[in-house]
Amino acid sequence: MSERAVAIGLKIPDNEAYTACAALRRLGVAVERVERSDVRFFDDGDDPGALRARIEADESIFNPNKHALVLLDEPAPRAGEVWIEELGARGPRCFVGWRLLDAAGQPVPRQDVVAAAERLLCNPAIETARFQQDHT
Amino acid sequence: MSAKAAVVVFPGTNSEDETLQLLRDCGASADLVHWSRASDLARYDAYVLPGGFAYEDRVRAGAIPAHDPVMDYVIEGAQRGKLVMGICNGAQILLEAGLVPGTGPVRRPTAAFTHNAQRHFVCKHVYAKLAFEPSRSPITAALPPGALVPAWAAHGQGRLAAHDDELAAIRDGGHLAFVYAREDGSTESATPNGSALGCAGLVNREGNVLALMPHPERDGWNFNHLRRREGADVLAPSGGAALFASFAKALAR
Repeated sequence: MSERAVAIGLKIPDNEAYTACAALRRLGVAVERVERSDVRFFDDGDDPGALRARIEADESIFNPNKHALVLLDEPAPRAGEVWIEELGARGPRCFVGWRLLDAAGQPVPRQDVVAAAERLLCNPAIETARFQQDHT
Repeated sequence: MSAKAAVVVFPGTNSEDETLQLLRDCGASADLVHWSRASDLARYDAYVLPGGFAYEDRVRAGAIPAHDPVMDYVIEGAQRGKLVMGICNGAQILLEAGLVPGTGPVRRPTAAFTHNAQRHFVCKHVYAKLAFEPSRSPITAALPPGALVPAWAAHGQGRLAAHDDELAAIRDGGHLAFVYAREDGSTESATPNGSALGCAGLVNREGNVLALMPHPERDGWNFNHLRRREGADVLAPSGGAALFASFAKALAR
């Protein structure tokens, strides 16, 4: 049994991600594109293919017409990504993942991700931010 | 020329018309100013941020509008002592902008009005009880001590949340402006959303910025006042209009 993090994002235009990107640029963060996803955790039973099929069949969290599913290699943010978690939230562990990309489609440097979290994406009074190097 | 307030409209604001009308009915001179005309805000003497869902609550309720160029004018005005009042979504914006409670730098929030404890939208008639001496804020100065302002709580994210040290700073620093109460003035377990300190509203240190979660304008005339008198003029300000009248008096001073 192993825990697998999955990112469920939109494959249709994501207005919220676009708005966040525009706001971050106005705040001086060097970012060209922002991807947003809901990050959830599942037991993959050591069979990632079966997990993918199970999620893609669950219409309460996945609509194949609008969602894209990524099974992450590590249960941690990817390069260019910050995971935001609401403090005191009940229910299954869930993050909002924000992935910041440059003009070439590459992840932006960590300091820009940290700046994005500090300036907009995370309100530390009610949320925590996890970055790629954090292993808490 | 008399002092004038701007009722600020963001994309997604939905309470601007009744907010403007009640201000005017209470004697204030006021205009609507849309976000696309932000530079117009410089010539106003006060700002009111009404309720709604500015920018669809994207990222967090209040987070995107807090960084909108509109707020450059509101923040500068607040720092120069202009009156600022935010209601519901307007209150969320003021917290995200760091103007209230104002214990940290601007645009570095130290608290939030966030998801209700019950995790769903609440629509309930409430009373916001003035929690400090009226003179603590010019916006509340014309209210009687312990005033009960009738209003409607209508929000999914109205629960004050902050770390314990910040909540202590709010309580001890005189930032708690209004608490939820019942009609008899009792406050114990009166919060409809689990708000810390029973908080319905906050002010900054100087007292010129007020953030109030429930809507007094939705109980602001006899026609929508829960305790209207039989035969009263239905279009006369009533109930929650007391806060708007106090704001109008402060604006005129």
